[in-house]
Amino acid sequence: MNKLLLLIVAIGFSISTYAQKSISGKVVDKTTNEPLPGVSITVKGSSKGMAADFDGNFTIQNIDENAVLVFSFIGYKPQEISVTGQTSLNVLLEEDAEALDEVIVTAFDIQRDKASLGYSVQQLKPEEFAVAQENNIMNSLSGKVSGLQITQGNTGVDGSSRILLRGITTIDGSNRPLVVVDGIPVSNGSSSGNPNGGRDGGDALSDINPNDVATVTVLKGAGAAAAYGSRGMHGVILVTTKSGVSKDGIGVTLTSSFTVTEIALTPKLQNEYGMGAFDSFSPIGSDGRPNLDYPSSWSYGPKMEGQPYTNWLGAEDTYSPRGNTYEEFYQDGHSFTNGVSFEGATDHSGFRMSFTNQDTQGIIPNNTLNKNTINFRASSNLTDKLKIDGKVTYIKSKVKNRPELGEGASNTALQLSLMPRDIRLEDAKKNTLDANGNEIKWNLDNTFNNPYWALNNVYNEDSRDLFQSSFSAKLDLTDKFYITGKTGLNYRVSDGTRHAAAGGKANSNGLGNYGTNQSKSSSWNSDILATYTTKFSGFNVTGSVGANYRSDYSKSIGVSGTEEKVPNFYRISNYAIVSDSDSMRKKIVYSYYGLGQISYGGYLYLDATIRNDNSSALPAENDSFWYHSENLSFLFSKFFGLKSNTLSKGKVRASYAKVGNDTSPYRTQSSYNINQARTLDYTVASIPGTLPNPNLRPEVSNSWEIGTELGFFKNRIHLDFTYYETLTEDQIMSVPISGTSAYSNYITNAGSIKNEGFEAQLNLIPLETENFSWDMGLSITKSKSVVESIDESLESITLNSLMQVSIEARPGEEFGTIYGLDYLRDNFGSKLITDAGLAQPGERIKLGSINPDFYGGISNNFKYRNFSLRTLISYQEGGEFFSWGRGYREMFGTDASSLIGRVDGIIEEGINENTGFENTTPVSALQKNYTNNYVSNIRTDLIFDASNIKMKEIVFTYDVPKKALGNSGVQGVSLSAIGRDLFFIHNATGDIDPDASNGSSPTATALEHASLPSTRTYGVNIKINF
Amino acid sequence: MKNIQNIKFKFLLVLLVGIVFTSCEDTLEDVRENPNTVTTIDDAPLFANAVRSLFGGTLDQGTVRFAGMHAHYYVAGSTSRQPDQYIDGFDGNYNSVLNGTYNGVIRHSEEVLLLTSNEETPNTVRYAMADIINVMGFARITDGFGEIPYTEGGKGKSEDILTPKYDTQQFIYTDLIARLTASINVLKTADPAMAYPDSDPIFDNDLNKWVRFANSFRLRLGMRLRYADNALSQQIVSLSLADPLMEDNSHNAFMIQTEGQGNGWYGNRTGYPSIKMSTFMVGKLENTADPRLAVFVMQDENGNYTGQKNGLNDVAFGQSDFASKSDMGLALSSKESKMYLMTAAEVYFLRAEAALAYDNEPAVANDIYRMAIETSLRQWNVGAAEITNFLASPIGTLTGTTLEQEEQMGTQMWIALTPDYFEGWSHIRRTGYPVIEERTDSDLERGVTNGIMPKRFLYSSFELSSNGTNASEAIARQGANKIDTPIWWDKN
Repeated sequence: MNKLLLLIVAIGFSISTYAQKSISGKVVDKTTNEPLPGVSITVKGSSKGMAADFDGNFTIQNIDENAVLVFSFIGYKPQEISVTGQTSLNVLLEEDAEALDEVIVTAFDIQRDKASLGYSVQQLKPEEFAVAQENNIMNSLSGKVSGLQITQGNTGVDGSSRILLRGITTIDGSNRPLVVVDGIPVSNGSSSGNPNGGRDGGDALSDINPNDVATVTVLKGAGAAAAYGSRGMHGVILVTTKSGVSKDGIGVTLTSSFTVTEIALTPKLQNEYGMGAFDSFSPIGSDGRPNLDYPSSWSYGPKMEGQPYTNWLGAEDTYSPRGNTYEEFYQDGHSFTNGVSFEGATDHSGFRMSFTNQDTQGIIPNNTLNKNTINFRASSNLTDKLKIDGKVTYIKSKVKNRPELGEGASNTALQLSLMPRDIRLEDAKKNTLDANGNEIKWNLDNTFNNPYWALNNVYNEDSRDLFQSSFSAKLDLTDKFYITGKTGLNYRVSDGTRHAAAGGKANSNGLGNYGTNQSKSSSWNSDILATYTTKFSGFNVTGSVGANYRSDYSKSIGVSGTEEKVPNFYRISNYAIVSDSDSMRKKIVYSYYGLGQISYGGYLYLDATIRNDNSSALPAENDSFWYHSENLSFLFSKFFGLKSNTLSKGKVRASYAKVGNDTSPYRTQSSYNINQARTLDYTVASIPGTLPNPNLRPEVSNSWEIGTELGFFKNRIHLDFTYYETLTEDQIMSVPISGTSAYSNYITNAGSIKNEGFEAQLNLIPLETENFSWDMGLSITKSKSVVESIDESLESITLNSLMQVSIEARPGEEFGTIYGLDYLRDNFGSKLITDAGLAQPGERIKLGSINPDFYGGISNNFKYRNFSLRTLISYQEGGEFFSWGRGYREMFGTDASSLIGRVDGIIEEGINENTGFENTTPVSALQKNYTNNYVSNIRTDLIFDASNIKMKEIVFTYDVPKKALGNSGVQGVSLSAIGRDLFFIHNATGDIDPDASNGSSPTATALEHASLPSTRTYGVNIKINF
Repeated sequence: MKNIQNIKFKFLLVLLVGIVFTSCEDTLEDVRENPNTVTTIDDAPLFANAVRSLFGGTLDQGTVRFAGMHAHYYVAGSTSRQPDQYIDGFDGNYNSVLNGTYNGVIRHSEEVLLLTSNEETPNTVRYAMADIINVMGFARITDGFGEIPYTEGGKGKSEDILTPKYDTQQFIYTDLIARLTASINVLKTADPAMAYPDSDPIFDNDLNKWVRFANSFRLRLGMRLRYADNALSQQIVSLSLADPLMEDNSHNAFMIQTEGQGNGWYGNRTGYPSIKMSTFMVGKLENTADPRLAVFVMQDENGNYTGQKNGLNDVAFGQSDFASKSDMGLALSSKESKMYLMTAAEVYFLRAEAALAYDNEPAVANDIYRMAIETSLRQWNVGAAEITNFLASPIGTLTGTTLEQEEQMGTQMWIALTPDYFEGWSHIRRTGYPVIEERTDSDLERGVTNGIMPKRFLYSSFELSSNGTNASEAIARQGANKIDTPIWWDKN
């Protein structure tokens, strides 16, 4: 009705036509001269108003000759211009230094002035994530956002990343933040390997193309994320893609980058002793080859001095060191990324389309990634009152030979780190198959392969087709009331195939295997939101109500076979023993929510949300749950009217949120599986090992945070500080239980974790002149998650384990405490040594914690005329990890540390358990390393400090001056030299990368085993605008 | 104009709402149920699973990795031979041995017991059969560990018991035997139509064979108590002798694994860990010119039967040329090799022992002993002439003192138990035969037992943390959680 009234009024005005005129013009940024689309233009003293179009242009018909136009735009100083005597206006809006704050994209794509927000949020611009060309955009955020911890293991070209925002809040589950692209939540899943093997299946977030992204906003706490429902419990990362704006020139942008990746850190191996045990050569067997079983095939043989001997192949050879096998085996990888985008806009519509191709070759010769992304986004103001926006993204990617990790038999790093030091890699390469077509191994144990056999005969590839689309419409019913609708679909088809040739015993006992799997998944999200805004007596009030429907569906079908019939043919028909799989999952959630904001005087802001989720994953009695958040922001500098140069900005904020969470589907009902059987004339059924729970309740997380933002000296010093606390209770967990119950796990609401910490971001501008500027950012985060309770029937929950080291959640202790066996000691702490001179296993104790004491980043950005230099140093203090890689290398005698005691033996420090006197009995290095590491499983000395300081990123950019480009039609050229993960400034553990995990689970960094070499990447990047 | 605007906006509004909610085609109830599983099922497929799991258990890690080497049948290669050095750092393996049986046999037989005893669908015949399988599962676990959760064990679903208390082995054995007696009595007069006409993986629903099987198993358990509770043992044995027992190889409880890669010993022989028969086993067979040598042991590349010595230390093992030694025989380690739960040969040996020890009838014992050997040879398709020759050789007759006869019998039974290596290990622990010498030679590893054959598996660290109070009580009663702590029935 209001709309109609407005119309009538407008028509009324047009009829009267006295002293009326029309005026048009363009609004641009005063500094950059870039057009400002969407600037709000109102006629002072009337309700008449409009917004500038995509080119910043506007035309207003029939306004009073004496009218005054008010131009306002978030982040800019408002400007009033009288139209008297003018028919065209060129409006230069100036950025509001007082506002000091950026415009922030918040939940539901609502743009807000950062000052008005009652929670901690950080927004990044393209130069911070698009230049360094990471395959996964999230990796570019590492060290740049306080509270965000990102670690990327060494798992191949398309590896996943461990992403934690403010640490751990739930015992079970990934703890990864929700990622929302243009208002639609996307899959944030990752599939990772583990220390016992497996491959890193990649990260769904690699599907976000950095070149298409305009901003990344990190909403850290639940207070910011509550509007996203249960999925926002671990925080939200909002990604906004670029939409078309009008540009000088033809609106074409070319980007191209080429980077090289080389190995940067490998374990330090010894080069003095070769194959054998107890200082002797391995005995020669009846086949003429040395005994390749343990310990004869370890590197505890005689000293290598060029003497003649029989080598591992049974050939006469000279016994000498063969150099760094890592450097010989791995190659320099490279990545070539090319993109082109077109964008443009007319009065009412804008569009942007882009195409990006990425070709990456890893350090393992056959590990490749090819990815093509097509992105199209368009928006239009169909009428003054109706705006639509649509987006389609298609990504096709293919990865070949994701490397096997950890103890997996095809892990090349496992082989290289353990192979006797006298084996020439060249010999391994030339001798992969014997006369019978069987693999020639260097060690009979199952996990040990000839690395070249594995390279040539074990294969996997997977391809993804990802289709993302979203459509939204905004309808202004009146100037105070609008409705937005949004719907988005993510649809993904994945196709994976793997095989291993026959002849290698580690793969299906030498029979060969094959498998292929196809899965599709879709996630459909729809929102409708009605918003009403009003003002009264100094208050600005906005209220919204909305509803959301989400449906997640996936289906997977696969076949696998073993026992190949003819060689080198990889189709299921070629396998004698075949099994297949077929499964589907579906979950839906309905939600209703309300959002409200009240602000007063431009210095006091109160936000509140309330939301109700209804989930199919919970039992009917408990499937509906409510939660809410309240955020308060108070700009005290403005309230008190402080106008000093010293304190230019002062804000305090507080936020409280209660968030609920459901779980994955099908955990509430008991059921039976029908077993696959191909030869039986009767049916076999089985009962799943996890006990369901028909009484599950939603889990609940209560969190609060307080923070302040202080600006000094015109904000040349700016501090943002937050303290937060989260208590997550009634956690839905799959609790591992004693097998004697006949079940392995049960689903329950149990356990609470208290997560507290602070994060601070200090930005400094030490120097700023016309031509030169230097700004600095320092971030620090300290986060601590303490397990307050777990299920009462358990003493602790093992989250991850390897070789008798377990990562545990134990009541009263930090989440992720590392437990393992210590030495057997007397009451004074001295080791008790046997008569044979060996240490003994003692109690299982806490050996460390995966959690750093604090971590963060230091960035420095220098700008001189058209040159800029951005550097980022990341750091972590504290936190520990268990390196079984080191333990294994010591045992195999390949590690440099295994040189200790080779000649005279090792005298363990401690006292003889029988005599009480100091131990004086030496043991051989082999005996000590084997017994301590493998037989007694003493872990005390294999726990390492993860503290490190890393030169994470250097980007040097030169923007070619406009005048140098002349009339070439080129609008801008920007050249960058980039370097990533360049070197450790400090690494407490020396030759092991503390980030070198095998996966991306919350506890993945705790367990290192035979990781692939760490790499550094450098290259060039060019961007040309036409 | 007004009207047009009005219609336009109404249309847009409807369109907007329509777009958003066209995707909502399901209600919560529609998708709550797991589409990949069924919620109700007949007990027959679960019974089949329990039985198959019991067979699968005869090739579990408890057998392959531990019992077979402890009982000196063979030696595994590479790191898999470590249990043969009498060390105990196998926490994960012990855990999977414990959980394997509970999660297979016990989980599925418990469910059948539940389904066949509820008020709507009671079936005493099926209950009895499932109970036999359940008993065998528990017997297997307690023989490996000693005290285990029994009364409360396996009741995670039926009674919500997640931390079951442990029972003494004495109690467990007494109860297992009582349950077998009850089942035997039911099955003796049962109608096969009430049993599992189409879902019996062992005897194809032949209840007569089931009675023999259950009763033979009762005999095994009864003899197991010989040194721990002699009176009860004698009582159970005489009870068993009064009911039908396995009498020839057609009564054997075996299964051929046709799914997957068949009998797991095929993979163990041809792939990893490449198992070689032991010097001990080869010697015992060679010394008596046993025709089963060629059945149980494969010739090496030079056409000889060469065993690998058990317990070598690392240096000696390195020099032992392991790879050239004899593999396990094809009859035992082919894909289609039978997996055995119990055989008639074992029953004859148990009867021979009872005749000698309980009835003091050496002549009867000798007759039954010869029957046992003959049945074992027939089981492995040894020709009639060879059987006659072998029985005619000195080993074919029990000779010497009672103790010597016991040893002769015990050793032959150990051979006949092949390939039930786990039972072979239990047999040695119970009888002390064949004698496994304490390891004293300098080339032998003495491990954590001072060179004595390990007597049990350890409760894993996971069990100690997830069911700690109960496991600690058991340790307090039974003795330290060590591999050389004997379990209750192990008195030799």
